Amino acid sequence: MTESVSKLIEELKRLGGRVEEVKDREVYLVVGRDNLRSLAKALYSTGAYLKTCAGVDERQVQGVLSIYYIFGLDELGVDVVLRVPVTEDDAKIPTIVLEVPAADWCELEARDMVGVEITGRPVRRLVLPEDWPEGIHPLRKDFDYSARPPRRFRSELPEEVGVPLGPYHPALHEPEYFELYVDGEKVVDVVYRGFHVHRGIEKLAESPRFTYKQIPFLAERICGICGFVHSSCYVMAVERAAGIEVPERAEFIRSIVLEVERLHSHLLWLGVAAHLLGYDVGFMHAWRIREHVMVLAEYLTGSRKTYGINIIGGVRRDLNVDKLDRILKTLAKVREEFVKLVEVMLSVPQIKLRASGTGILSRSEARALSVVGPVARASGLYRDIRKDYPYFAYREVSFKVPLYTEGDNLARVLVRVEEVLESIEIIKQLVDKLPGGPVAVESWDVPPYRRAVAAIEAPRGEDVHFIITGVGKPYRWRVRAPTYQNIPALRAMLRGASLADAPLTIASIDPCFSCTDRLVVYDLRTGSRRVLRIAGGVSACPL
Amino acid sequence: MSLVKILEIALRTGRVTRRYPVEEPLLTPEFRGSIEVDPSKCWGCGACTKVCPSNALTLTPSGKGLVLEYFVGRCVFCGMCAEVCPAKAITVTKKFELASKNLRDLRSRVVHEVLRCSVCGAPITAEAEVRAVVKVSPITEEYVALCPRCRKERFTKSVALRIGASSGPS
Ligand code: SF4
Ligand code: SF4
Repeated sequence: MTESVSKLIEELKRLGGRVEEVKDREVYLVVGRDNLRSLAKALYSTGAYLKTCAGVDERQVQGVLSIYYIFGLDELGVDVVLRVPVTEDDAKIPTIVLEVPAADWCELEARDMVGVEITGRPVRRLVLPEDWPEGIHPLRKDFDYSARPPRRFRSELPEEVGVPLGPYHPALHEPEYFELYVDGEKVVDVVYRGFHVHRGIEKLAESPRFTYKQIPFLAERICGICGFVHSSCYVMAVERAAGIEVPERAEFIRSIVLEVERLHSHLLWLGVAAHLLGYDVGFMHAWRIREHVMVLAEYLTGSRKTYGINIIGGVRRDLNVDKLDRILKTLAKVREEFVKLVEVMLSVPQIKLRASGTGILSRSEARALSVVGPVARASGLYRDIRKDYPYFAYREVSFKVPLYTEGDNLARVLVRVEEVLESIEIIKQLVDKLPGGPVAVESWDVPPYRRAVAAIEAPRGEDVHFIITGVGKPYRWRVRAPTYQNIPALRAMLRGASLADAPLTIASIDPCFSCTDRLVVYDLRTGSRRVLRIAGGVSACPL
Repeated sequence: MSLVKILEIALRTGRVTRRYPVEEPLLTPEFRGSIEVDPSKCWGCGACTKVCPSNALTLTPSGKGLVLEYFVGRCVFCGMCAEVCPAKAITVTKKFELASKNLRDLRSRVVHEVLRCSVCGAPITAEAEVRAVVKVSPITEEYVALCPRCRKERFTKSVALRIGASSGPS
């Protein structure tokens, strides 16, 4: 614990926090709700950002409902976790959105899922569907994971509701919904509604059949693109909570596969961005190059996607000489073809013109909203979990973090383009330095009621998993995917911009939710309403 | 300019899409497809059903027997079952063309006879498992055919007898 962290902790203690636990990378403080806002303010003003907050029903263990607020001090590589306990009869916690705008969603989510009322702000349902009955909170422990409460239809709906085709089209996977309010061609405001396909994965993991061992396979299915990030983040959280030492070789293999996954994800995104800009040739070539990465992934892990090699304490697949050789050969080919393609793509005039100066997110907005990943780095925020909180084998390699200050769509393209090249260099170094030894521990044991925060730099930004261990399985497993953090920034990017740029801007955060984005446009002058379709949004991962 | 360059790339690359199914599918030697359970090897111990993350493997009593069912529709092709199977009865195949018009094609079953307790008649476990266990750790025939409850009873009785004998009148 460095001096600056100790100083901050002293300050937080002075403001009413009580230190519960100090670990290598995390400090846990318990805070009375009356002091929460001043602590949150103090943290945010020292440069911390909010990773997420998590409602936890701790009545069985501590007799309270709590919200955990996880703040990241990325410059120091430490997380400060504030726990605010309240009793069930008086389950109210004041909002911190004024001090910490990034808390908007997770406060509402805790309100929905655990039933802690958030006071001092307008509230609405975020995750629970409209027809979910009042007073039932799925993440309470006395709510059975398989319970299906009766739906509560609102009476004001007309009897003869037609077939609801869109905006939440039932046949499309991952629908999300933006309402854009426009004045002529200018976007005036944006309302986002998501979580239509909330799968209740955190609750599902509480079902009897899931133990520590099986959840990596469930976690990997959170996202169809960066699933390995989620299984890695889950096993890392469990390993940290339980103090399991993972063999070095396994850490290297995990890092290699994580970077392979980033390559495929960025190439996928680049193709989609080209397509949205009307440059389908670029789309096809990006995906052709990506195919080499997909085949490599299958050869290394057994599967093109959802690799399934993460287990607690290590990995299930080792790398032999053949595989290492294949990695280097594939990377050489991908690099060569990628550099050529990017050169061509960026010389296409409509790409440069349409991407530069559109969808701007300023540095201060990026900071206030605690955005992550390429979105943060394109707005001048130096934030990369691989550097800030080194995990697995990232300490062993040197690489650059691409940083742009323009904050526009082009900057987000360029960040990802450079990251592809950096990833290739990272993998090469890892292959070169790969240590010998086993790839998994022989046995492990997870003591109950330990906590840990784990974070991984996913292709879309920081992925966070928070764990409270239980008996034979997690007591609480909280997942915060990167898109969760970045969608709120779209409002800042789209407001005041031209409507024609909206599809590209939405795609520029590489949102992980849909294959067909739709947005509804309300024209303020005429009051008319039309639906825009953005073919080929990116992918799929609301929890 | 960019058009010429991209044409050049396209021409040099040529066709990349494999003409599957006329040509062989693109599979690497490491590919994990659906699994197969060898009925002649399976013990019916259920270890695979416990580790299976997606409930694709289930072990349920049915009639007089015990049925291990594999429903490929739920399988996530992780191969964890093959890793834990003590009888090496599971192979991970390279099969991936699994669509069918008949739901029954997606289920395969291994039916096991159940050994019943020689005292009370309660079902104990699959016969094949008992046979396998006897082979590796010879427990006395006397105990094998007893359900856990009767086994415990007999054990307590025999211990009681022995203690009774040694702590007799001194
Ligand atoms: S391969 Fe995985 S999902 Fe399929 S049956 Fe085996 S353990 Fe279950
Ligand atoms: S012997 Fe193998 S296949 Fe048969 S039930 Fe046991 S683990 Fe499953």
